[in-house]
Amino acid sequence: MKYQDYEIPDELLYSREHEWVRLEGKEAVVGITDYAQKQLHEVVYVEVKGEGSGVVQNETMGTVESVKSVSDVFSPVTGKIMKVNKELGDSPELLNQEPYGKGWLARVSLADFKKDKGRLLTAEQYAQYLETIEE
Amino acid sequence: MNKFAKRTHLYEFHRKNAKMVEFAGFDMPLWFKGTIPEHMAVRTRVGLFDITHMGRAVISGVKSEAFLNYVITNDVSVLAPLSAQYSVMCTESGGIIDDFIVSRLEPEKFLIVYNAANREKDFKWLAQHARAFGARVEDVSDSVAMFAVQGPMALQTLEKIAGAGVARIERFKCGWIKIGDVDAFVSRTGYTGEDGFEVFVWNSPVMEPVKAVQAWNAILKAGEEFGLEPCGLSARDSLRLEAGMCLYGNDIDESVSPLEAGLGFVVKLKKESFIGKAALEKLKAEGVKRKRVGLRMVEKGLSPRPKQEVWKDNVKAGVVTSGLFSPLLQVGVAQAYLGVEHAVEGSTVEVRLRDKGLKAEVCKFPLYDSTKYGYARVK
Repeated sequence: MKYQDYEIPDELLYSREHEWVRLEGKEAVVGITDYAQKQLHEVVYVEVKGEGSGVVQNETMGTVESVKSVSDVFSPVTGKIMKVNKELGDSPELLNQEPYGKGWLARVSLADFKKDKGRLLTAEQYAQYLETIEE
Repeated sequence: MNKFAKRTHLYEFHRKNAKMVEFAGFDMPLWFKGTIPEHMAVRTRVGLFDITHMGRAVISGVKSEAFLNYVITNDVSVLAPLSAQYSVMCTESGGIIDDFIVSRLEPEKFLIVYNAANREKDFKWLAQHARAFGARVEDVSDSVAMFAVQGPMALQTLEKIAGAGVARIERFKCGWIKIGDVDAFVSRTGYTGEDGFEVFVWNSPVMEPVKAVQAWNAILKAGEEFGLEPCGLSARDSLRLEAGMCLYGNDIDESVSPLEAGLGFVVKLKKESFIGKAALEKLKAEGVKRKRVGLRMVEKGLSPRPKQEVWKDNVKAGVVTSGLFSPLLQVGVAQAYLGVEHAVEGSTVEVRLRDKGLKAEVCKFPLYDSTKYGYARVK
């Protein structure tokens, strides 16, 4: 679905900090939403915690920089980073071009997804959430 | 957005075309296409900025020259009519109240263009000290629209509108041109490091924006064939930082003297008297303890940001005052104050970014290769 100009794929789950989660068995691929990349604009550098690092839901898992600003990325799930998207090193602009595709941030092995899920939003809920913050 | 924020003549254009931001009480464009394309347009072609938010005061009277020479640090007696100079004004203790461009319009009439954030402070300070000289200080900020046309093709852009005479206005000189039906005052100055002009549309209050909008549109159209981009405040900041120009509130303020800021060239200690002279003389004799320098990150990665500490061999060497990702150099750059013993061009220091220490090289300004970019480039 869509809210204004922002793409919100139906099959993903979302955090209030504008990250998305794609569930794949006991792992999840995570990234930042179309809304987040449009707010950041022109991403020039991305840094994600290393492979093997633990991440905790709603705690920092990385940093995204534009020319003038720095933003933390909060992990939408709890678990361990299995893989980070190394392409972002040379091509941080993938975050702007394909936030739900080639701009993914990391693959996380999930510790307790049932617990994570309680704080995540469906596409519809996320669209409603955007409406409340975009007045 | 603060609903009481002031708007410029171009508000409707900005609102439709730009991401907006509130700056110094004004609703201003942050970027149109984006910081990077706008920055690169100015470095390689031409860009157009709305800088109406800046403060402007006209100083006049028989003793206007004497007054200005008392209140600012540079020497305006060397300015012929239709010439401009960069200057600062200081407190008695030598701290920078503001930095600005002074232009001599007529033998007894000057224009000062100062920072938007200091509009009230500067006007009050000027008006307060003008009394003793019987000089008149008029705040014309709200009745003048102001644009900057910057970049290697700024001259060609204005020549298309106003004819070949524009080229006769040399760097740091001023003159009058016609933009369509609109009379505009221009000075060959700017805040990007590039060649370019600042364009003033006089007697143009925001409530009657027609003249200003006409001039803006004429410049946009003339620049089209050169790849002109309208530019926002974000590119204005990244351009001035690379060029080594100060941003008031970041790189200079009342706690910093012009000598520490590397602005000694605008402090004329030979003048008989001016506010701050004694303090600056003393500081010069004793020698400054810190200096403003450029930093360029050695490797790609996080960019330095204001307030981050700079270290050298496990000793704190200074602090970053402005920092961002340089669209031209494609790496993090900064302006920082370092202890003079550490302000050594070509040496390596460490910027403490969060939990990391990342290497940076101490550089002179501008941070770019001035044979390839900037007003002094080899054509």
